[in-house]
Amino acid sequence: MNVTLAVKQYVTRMIEDSGPGMKVLLMDKDTTSIVSMVYTQSEILQKEVYLLERIDSQNRDNMKHLKAICYLRPTKENVESLIQELRRPKYSVYFIYFSNVISKSEIKALAEADEQEVVAEIQEFYGDFIAVNPHLFSLNLQGVARGRSWDPTMLARSTQGLTSVLLALKKCPVIRYQLSSDMAKRLAESVKLIITKEYELFDFRKTEVPPLLLILDRSDDAITPLLNQWTYQAMVHELLGLNNNRIDLSRVPGISKDLREVVLSADNDDFYANNLYLNFGEIGTNIKNLMEDFQKKKPKGQQRLESISDMKAFVDSYPQFKKMSGAVSKHVTVVGELSRLVAERQLMEVSEVEQELACQNDHSSAQQKVRRLLRLPGVCELDAVRLVMLYALRYERHSNSALPAMMEELAKRGVSEKYRKMVHSVVEYGGKRVRGSDLVTATDAVAITKQFLKGLKGVENVYTQHQPLLQDTLDQLVKGKLRDAQFPYLGASSLRDRPQDVLVFVVGGATYEEALCVYNLNRSVPGVRIVLGGTTVHSTKSTQHQEVLVLPTVLTTVLTTVHSTKRY
Amino acid sequence: MSTGEVKEGFICPLCHKDLQSFYQLQDHYEEEHSGDDRHVRGQLKSLVQKAKKAKDKLLKRDGDDRADTGSYESFYYGGVDPYMWEPQELGATRNHQDYFKKHRAARIDHYVIEVNKLLIRLEKLTSFDRTNSDVAKIRAIEKSVVPWVSDSDVPFCPDCGNKFNIRNRRHHCRLCGSIMCRKCMDFVPLPLAYKLTSGTRESLCIPGSPGQSQAPPSGAGASGMGSRRGSLSSLSSVTSMLEEKDDEKIRCCHHCMDTLLKRQQKLEERDHMPDIVKLYERLRMCMDKVDEKAPEYIKVAESLNAGETTYNLDSAGGLRLEVQKYYELIDALSKRILTLGMKDDPAPTPKSLHLQKMIRYTATLFVQEKLLGLMSLPTKDKYEALKEKRKQEQEKKLQQERLVRRFSSTHQAAQESMRKRQESEKNRSVATTNGEVPPAPKPPRMTKAGGWLPSADSKKTHSELKDPLLQQIDNIQSFLRQAREAQRTDEVAMLEENLRQLQDEYDQQQTSLAIALSQKLAQEENLQQGEIQRLEARERSEWEQRAPAADSRQPSSIWECSLDLGEPVAGYVEEDKIGEVTPKFERSPLSLRAFPALAGQEESPPRLRSLGGHVTPPSSEGPNSSSLNPFEEDSTPTEEDPSNPFFEDIQEEHKEVSNGKKEYNPFDDEEDNGGQEEPAATSLGNPFEEESSETSNPFTEASGDSPGVSTNPFEGDEDAGALADIDMIEEELLLQQIDNIRAYIFDAKINGRLDEVELLSANLRELQHTLQEQKKTH
Repeated sequence: MNVTLAVKQYVTRMIEDSGPGMKVLLMDKDTTSIVSMVYTQSEILQKEVYLLERIDSQNRDNMKHLKAICYLRPTKENVESLIQELRRPKYSVYFIYFSNVISKSEIKALAEADEQEVVAEIQEFYGDFIAVNPHLFSLNLQGVARGRSWDPTMLARSTQGLTSVLLALKKCPVIRYQLSSDMAKRLAESVKLIITKEYELFDFRKTEVPPLLLILDRSDDAITPLLNQWTYQAMVHELLGLNNNRIDLSRVPGISKDLREVVLSADNDDFYANNLYLNFGEIGTNIKNLMEDFQKKKPKGQQRLESISDMKAFVDSYPQFKKMSGAVSKHVTVVGELSRLVAERQLMEVSEVEQELACQNDHSSAQQKVRRLLRLPGVCELDAVRLVMLYALRYERHSNSALPAMMEELAKRGVSEKYRKMVHSVVEYGGKRVRGSDLVTATDAVAITKQFLKGLKGVENVYTQHQPLLQDTLDQLVKGKLRDAQFPYLGASSLRDRPQDVLVFVVGGATYEEALCVYNLNRSVPGVRIVLGGTTVHSTKSTQHQEVLVLPTVLTTVLTTVHSTKRY
Repeated sequence: MSTGEVKEGFICPLCHKDLQSFYQLQDHYEEEHSGDDRHVRGQLKSLVQKAKKAKDKLLKRDGDDRADTGSYESFYYGGVDPYMWEPQELGATRNHQDYFKKHRAARIDHYVIEVNKLLIRLEKLTSFDRTNSDVAKIRAIEKSVVPWVSDSDVPFCPDCGNKFNIRNRRHHCRLCGSIMCRKCMDFVPLPLAYKLTSGTRESLCIPGSPGQSQAPPSGAGASGMGSRRGSLSSLSSVTSMLEEKDDEKIRCCHHCMDTLLKRQQKLEERDHMPDIVKLYERLRMCMDKVDEKAPEYIKVAESLNAGETTYNLDSAGGLRLEVQKYYELIDALSKRILTLGMKDDPAPTPKSLHLQKMIRYTATLFVQEKLLGLMSLPTKDKYEALKEKRKQEQEKKLQQERLVRRFSSTHQAAQESMRKRQESEKNRSVATTNGEVPPAPKPPRMTKAGGWLPSADSKKTHSELKDPLLQQIDNIQSFLRQAREAQRTDEVAMLEENLRQLQDEYDQQQTSLAIALSQKLAQEENLQQGEIQRLEARERSEWEQRAPAADSRQPSSIWECSLDLGEPVAGYVEEDKIGEVTPKFERSPLSLRAFPALAGQEESPPRLRSLGGHVTPPSSEGPNSSSLNPFEEDSTPTEEDPSNPFFEDIQEEHKEVSNGKKEYNPFDDEEDNGGQEEPAATSLGNPFEEESSETSNPFTEASGDSPGVSTNPFEGDEDAGALADIDMIEEELLLQQIDNIRAYIFDAKINGRLDEVELLSANLRELQHTLQEQKKTH
């Protein structure tokens, strides 16, 4: 149930299968992301893979002394490129791996193109998803919906991605889906269809309790992706934009040349690995410790090494020193930039109000605070819009709604019409009418008691008081109490016992807050293993090229959804 | 120390047997493993693994055995506690090989038939004496090879569609008989034709003799093609090839030409092996050898440095030399690969340059990673001293432990019998002269007992130095247990990480110590104590902050006892316990100054609430963001000094292509075998050099180093710094250093870290300078 390991094992196997000798790895756009999430360059170099190439790149030279490992998605274009490649092979041998099921006819076409007998291996290795963390995967799909239903190509891609996760983890699951969402149901059916069709592939050793696939819809909880996050990974994603473990720091004022783009990968960066899920305050402390470590390890009097022993000591510690200094300068820069952005955008204050909106039920205080922030000049456009969105979602039907006044404030601030419209779009996307669960107001007695108790105890940390809806859903699921009426099983089979292996997929994208919540569940509930996935993982990365205002992807999702609704 | 609940404390690190109590374990250890060769790193590792396994059991409460815990070490698991999850096998796969091959076979058959048909015809067309035959005769033979399509059937050129007429005449392909116009026509030059046909012959009959292009075909070749070709005379071809004429070519169509060209390309590639492949194969071979030999050497060196007598010093020296030679070879080969084809006229394509660069980069990484773990060997005298010392140390240790045991074991029921056994063991161990006395078997204690560990070449100083670290490991292990009892999983994880770091630190220390000899000791001591203080302080503060209740649970009496035996350390640990966290921070004013923004958070508890006030935006202080980079802070802006001869030297070395006479060239070394070997070796830090110089005055060394007094032979060296042999060592060290630094410079250059390059080249200059001065004094 470790998605990162699953993909890594696939890639390792591919490389090992090809035997010794210099190798080139041929990939397409998608598989490049997939591989780069699990392997670093130095790691892959050690395995004799010296070149990484795109199958569609035109300027590859003939290098007959190299072996080619092709890892491709089985798309039409890729198969066509591969046919061309085989007709005029540039490398001596080809080991071909498709990331998903490929049709017989395409295999035949490839076979006929291989006149020079250069293909040594042709297999399906189901790593057709992006493993973000061991328990979090993404399909990197944007705008999956047309109105309230699937874009057909996106449905196909999501089905492929999801089935490949199942195959990579060797799970043949029982499927549950969110009743209120038609998209969740469609995807569930589509996955089921593939499982039935490829029954020999899904013929795994039966476990006592069958694994469970739970398909949810983002529109049920549109609040979570609107909140600012405070864990390291989430902040880096949200504020700096993490793309395939890389962050672009070129916009940071006064950045040095070799820090323009840095790689953050939990695989070979211990500091990052240990601090992924810690909040910003803890990271501050840790980075200081890291610095102190470094100061001590640093050779004394670097410029003047007086004696031979000094030099020897320096040389001996040099590689570690260099590695460490690289890590230190990287994280210090990243954290420094994060805290700069936090201060610049007044995210502390914004976040506090966001959390209050999401978690407490005090309309008058909430609306006052929102309006106060809207007047602050430091608060950026995006955050202002987000606050109003949260307010709109939260107090959608409040008799005393201050929404019109807030919209006016937004207009006064000069927020463009496009963004102002999005407030309504969000309500349309994730408002009460759409939701299948009680996102904001508790109805049953237990929940009310819980809320009451929470109010009594006070909050431990105002910035992290919000718990995503997923937390509740999974809590119930793990206890075997998730209501069949809300989350029905697909088909006749159902789970009698508590589930053990759970795969949660969120149509419309998962968030890092939810990933954190799954991470904590995994660690606190013994015997349960949960993997979270989504059509995407919400962050700013997908839209980072838009210059002025960086949109969180949920807004893009909302935008495409709602705009296409109008079209229909 | 209650028995039973905490398993990791009582598992034999060698055979992983789970023993009920400390004493049983000790017995077991002394009985079973007293003669085994021990390897610290391996033991620590297995200890960790064992501990993890035990934790597994505790968490899962079922006894299922993990097949392979080792594979876990290498992979990081994000947040998910991996030990709660099953080991994962490779995901599902599906192989299309058979289906693919079936379809390809059909296609290939077709293709091969096509090609062979063309080749047979080509052969027939070239087998007769073209020059001396008249046109009509040639035409007749050509027509006999393949029936020509009749002119009337083809009014238009099938390729370009132009109409045939008087001006645009029909031409027949001699290979397939089809018709095309002049424009669409191609020619097979006769040399190409010969090459193609001879190639077929070879590949069919005598594979692997590329030199003899006109080798007589063996008619015995079973295939029909071979026998047919066997009837042809190769003599005629030779003659016709010698007399080249203008129209020495065969008309053919595009399609036939294409097929033939493909065939030709394939033939060429089969015989052609680029230089890079040859070099690369040798490079990999060297790397494999290193992988094979280096661990062997390290094992031997560690054992020797610890004063054990398992291995022979001379053979170890030979091994060291061998490994070093491989490193040089790797370096040289990868350099050759890097510069391959640089001077060729058509410069290599960017991709092949990239390939070469990546290979060189990998080799550099490889050398960096492995070479630095290569510790040096003791000289003969030192070795003798080491042996003696080790023996003594071990006795002392054993006695100490016995004392501890007696104090702490009053509550043990089996005490009496144990003591008897110990007594007998004591006698036994005294009898062993070779210093093979087993270490204290209880795992945590064992790690503490640094005395027997490899490379503990100067034990007195080391025990001071190491004990805190090892003690910290012990402490953490006990904390771990407490945390686990309290079921604080996150703390357990944190502590485990801490423990791992400590153990890494320890390993690293071991290695570096062995290399750096004792000259480094004083400096390192400070460094490490600071490190430990920090670690302990952090440990303490975290402990105090998070679980004040846990603090009251003091480590059990055994720990206290062993702490006391650590002599000077105990006091220091005590002090630390009381000590606040804040003073530690003040000790590093440098970091505070450099990072005001971060330092501001120093005392803030890890809560965001309070953090709000402390985070000062770095942007508010202009230069701050730049000072965040520790490199810039320290780099001296010295320009690259072109006047410096050594700097040029380095550059030259990197560019070195033609300059085969460099000291590193492995091929030279190989060719002149013995003759060259010796001088080359001396310049490269030959351990024998060290040895021979030492042996010139073995007695001064030995006598000055009476076992009772200064137990550190290396200290003696330092004092007698004026001695000639020391100079020799230093010179040798210098040379090694120079090599190393050159490698670093190169690496830094590749990565474009100019500030480092400057720093390093400054160092290099100094080194070279020192070397020259040394030479002068001789």
